[in-house]
Amino acid sequence: MNSKSTKTYLSYIIFGVVLAALPLLVSTGIIKTSWVGIIGGTIIYAIAGLGLNLLLGYSGLISLGTAGFMGLGAYISAYISGDLGLPWELGMLLAIVIPLAFGILIGLASLRMEGLYLGIVTLCVSEILRKTFDELEPITGGFSGKKADFPTLFGVIELDQNTTYILLVVVLVLLMILTYNLANGQLGRALHAMRGSQVAAQAMGVSLLKYRLIAFALATAYASLAGALYVHFIRFVYPSTWTLSVSLVIMALVVIGGLRSIFGTFIGAVIVYALPDLLLKNIPVIGDINGLSYIFSGVLIILVVLFYPGGVVNLFSSIGNKFKKNDSSAATLATAADAAGETPVAAATTEGTEASNE
Amino acid sequence: MSTLLQVLLRSLETGAIYALATLGIIIVFRTNRMINFAQGVMGMVGAYIVTVLNQNFQLPLLLSILIGIVAAIAIGFLVDFVIIRRTKKVTGTGKEIITLGMMMVFLGMTPMIFGVDPMRLPKVIETGELSIGGANLSFNSLLNIVVGIGLTVALFTILQKTKLGLAIRTTASNEKTARLMGVPTKWVTLFAWALALVLGTLAGVMIAPSTSVTVNLMDSVQVNAFIACVLGGFQTFYGPVIGAYIIAIATNLLSYYVSSVWGTQILYALVIIFIVFRPVGLIGKRMTNKV
Amino acid sequence: MSNDLTMEQDEILRLDHLSINFGGLKAVDDLSFSIKDKEIFGLIGPNGAGKTTVFNCITQFYRPNEGSSVLFRTKSGEVEQLVGQPVHNIIRKGLVRTFQNVELIEELPIIDNVLIGAHIDFKSSGLAQALRLPSARREEAEMREKAMEVLEFMGIKELAGELVGGQPYGVRKKVEMARTLMCEPKLIILDEPAAGLNDIETQQLAESIYQVRDKYNCTILLVEHDMRLVMSICDRICAISFGKYLACGTPSEMQNDPKVQEAYLGEKETAQ
Repeated sequence: MNSKSTKTYLSYIIFGVVLAALPLLVSTGIIKTSWVGIIGGTIIYAIAGLGLNLLLGYSGLISLGTAGFMGLGAYISAYISGDLGLPWELGMLLAIVIPLAFGILIGLASLRMEGLYLGIVTLCVSEILRKTFDELEPITGGFSGKKADFPTLFGVIELDQNTTYILLVVVLVLLMILTYNLANGQLGRALHAMRGSQVAAQAMGVSLLKYRLIAFALATAYASLAGALYVHFIRFVYPSTWTLSVSLVIMALVVIGGLRSIFGTFIGAVIVYALPDLLLKNIPVIGDINGLSYIFSGVLIILVVLFYPGGVVNLFSSIGNKFKKNDSSAATLATAADAAGETPVAAATTEGTEASNE
Repeated sequence: MSTLLQVLLRSLETGAIYALATLGIIIVFRTNRMINFAQGVMGMVGAYIVTVLNQNFQLPLLLSILIGIVAAIAIGFLVDFVIIRRTKKVTGTGKEIITLGMMMVFLGMTPMIFGVDPMRLPKVIETGELSIGGANLSFNSLLNIVVGIGLTVALFTILQKTKLGLAIRTTASNEKTARLMGVPTKWVTLFAWALALVLGTLAGVMIAPSTSVTVNLMDSVQVNAFIACVLGGFQTFYGPVIGAYIIAIATNLLSYYVSSVWGTQILYALVIIFIVFRPVGLIGKRMTNKV
Repeated sequence: MSNDLTMEQDEILRLDHLSINFGGLKAVDDLSFSIKDKEIFGLIGPNGAGKTTVFNCITQFYRPNEGSSVLFRTKSGEVEQLVGQPVHNIIRKGLVRTFQNVELIEELPIIDNVLIGAHIDFKSSGLAQALRLPSARREEAEMREKAMEVLEFMGIKELAGELVGGQPYGVRKKVEMARTLMCEPKLIILDEPAAGLNDIETQQLAESIYQVRDKYNCTILLVEHDMRLVMSICDRICAISFGKYLACGTPSEMQNDPKVQEAYLGEKETAQ
């Protein structure tokens, strides 16, 4: 167990170091300054995606409320550290805790509903929040938006864009480790069980109420944290940012990257968020960049769900497995001691649904 | 009194629009077992086609609508043929994700094909109004109300009285059994998607004159139609329609008499609370899970 | 629900006046029987007799009617009324079940599926697990070791790291059995364990049921169609028909019971 998790942690940390080196590359002129903003945005989307992955990937519960909670986190944090002049850290804390209460309420409501109502109800909640952002002018600044500053850590260390970017990387790596721990222990298995069969999960002692609440609470906390980070990185927030399309993009990155995969979530964020900005923009004529990236993500979602439920990350690991086929017996022994929750297998998913349809 | 009547008449018109969108959602849900989150944008695309034919190609409005309906049917066939047929083995959540993907594709294509500038679509009947008990009702609103109710009644007649209706109802109650009994379920789903698109397009054409035609045209209609489905329950065809009219009346009453700013939020919150206490909606019974 | 919590000393499960209605239909009608400790007990009946409903009532997936009583002698030795308890609490009492169509998680390795059976035994807090504190790590390692022991007992230790998806049916059944053993149950309810198995596999199943009972010191309630299996391994059998009690006794008593024969007339030929 230890060696496996240490290895995973190490891979996350190395990944973080590589990401953090980006501003350095910018200063040497190898890549453009705009990259920091784009990759920073990618990290923020990946953070919200990690939370949604716990909900959608592990628990199989759909939520279209991500945007609403990101917005809520953003406004609370901006209001507390800006208008009230309180420490940034307190703003972040409240920006997580207040939305968390909402998330738990939805979780409570969700237990009473047929699964299919859930997407709709989360959509309504997001809609209620978005309309509230429009109207609650004293706090949100209404349609004209609200400004915020780069964070000031512990009241003394004032960050700029590059250092805020590094802060984002640190938060991302910490959350990846946290998510890994949650997903590969008792909690992760309980969520898996709930998705697989609610009946069997209950028979094994998993309280649906408790674990649905946990799943919703986690997704909400990650989303509102992402929102709070967003407002201090972009330094501006409009009510019109937090529409359904943001929720859709985050769902898309989770599905495309790979359900139940931590690295997959980041890869998904790169594909859905960064790639259109970095690549498609440079293609002439086609015009509207948003339109193209939407089509790109939409088509990918459909293809992934239909033909490759493991997501893009699984493409890499199945290519890797082709090379490893030979020493599979040794690998079995190794994984027997600690099973990997990292790589979902597409074939298993489809076979599973077939079997359960019988 | 006349104000109340005015609010109620307006609600009947909004209700008609919501009812059509709702029927589109429910017919797809009942026959395909999937919640179609793309219903709104599909209607938006239909409305765009009508608008472009009318505004850019100068076709008469009614002809534009007619061509729009034909185009909607074609898109519906295409959606069913290219995507939906392949989803047989996908789980419930997976199907919902696919419709969200479809939504993104439509949202992305619309500005590329039709441009990003908002467009205007005129009313079918431009002038004239009725006066009923001190309240005013334009002929166009009356037309919308009549079309909404008429189409709903026609659809229910088809469902109850025709062979096609029987096939839909059988498929809705159990797809597998229906298929084994020789019901052409493939045609039923094809029909369902085409119908959903037509209903969406009509709802779009009805709402368009009161706002401008953009990609966000159907956003609030879609949310309200979903709320109506939740309120009315997904188990029957008529429950959601009743839900649609209730939502329309409640929205207008709340915004007029309680708060124009917070009315909608209050209504959504009320519906969510209602659902917590009656999870199957107004009409419908709880499905017992077999263990 | 009666408040009387008395049971014979050697009884582990006691049903009194168990009834449940679905709509107007009485799926289970005033059923009473009891199971003795360490017994292999069979519940039989023709198709649609309500066998599965009976044990869904025992495990509280269904809420039985007023006046029904399901007494159970828990791990701690106390007698408890199960009716009205939350479904997810039943396993804590020491009562665990399998499923007719084997409910496993396809995307997880076998060992993690087995570990779900130990869900209720994890003591470390969520925070300790999230931060992977030493206490949580130790606990996880211990549980994995225990799961490996159970898998070894079931004879599928070498498959521990393989995903459940793609495993043959026989292996899946074993994984499910292993999962029930993780909580050290007092009573295991097997829902048609022989369904879908061939003759040899059924033979092996019979063996492993004995072994489970002896090694884990538990009682087994078997709901089964395969009459040969039931007759060969059960100590006692209860037969029901249309939710009503028919007879209870040893396999040989049952074979000679006219009421049972009548209920099974015609059914006997179809059961191989």
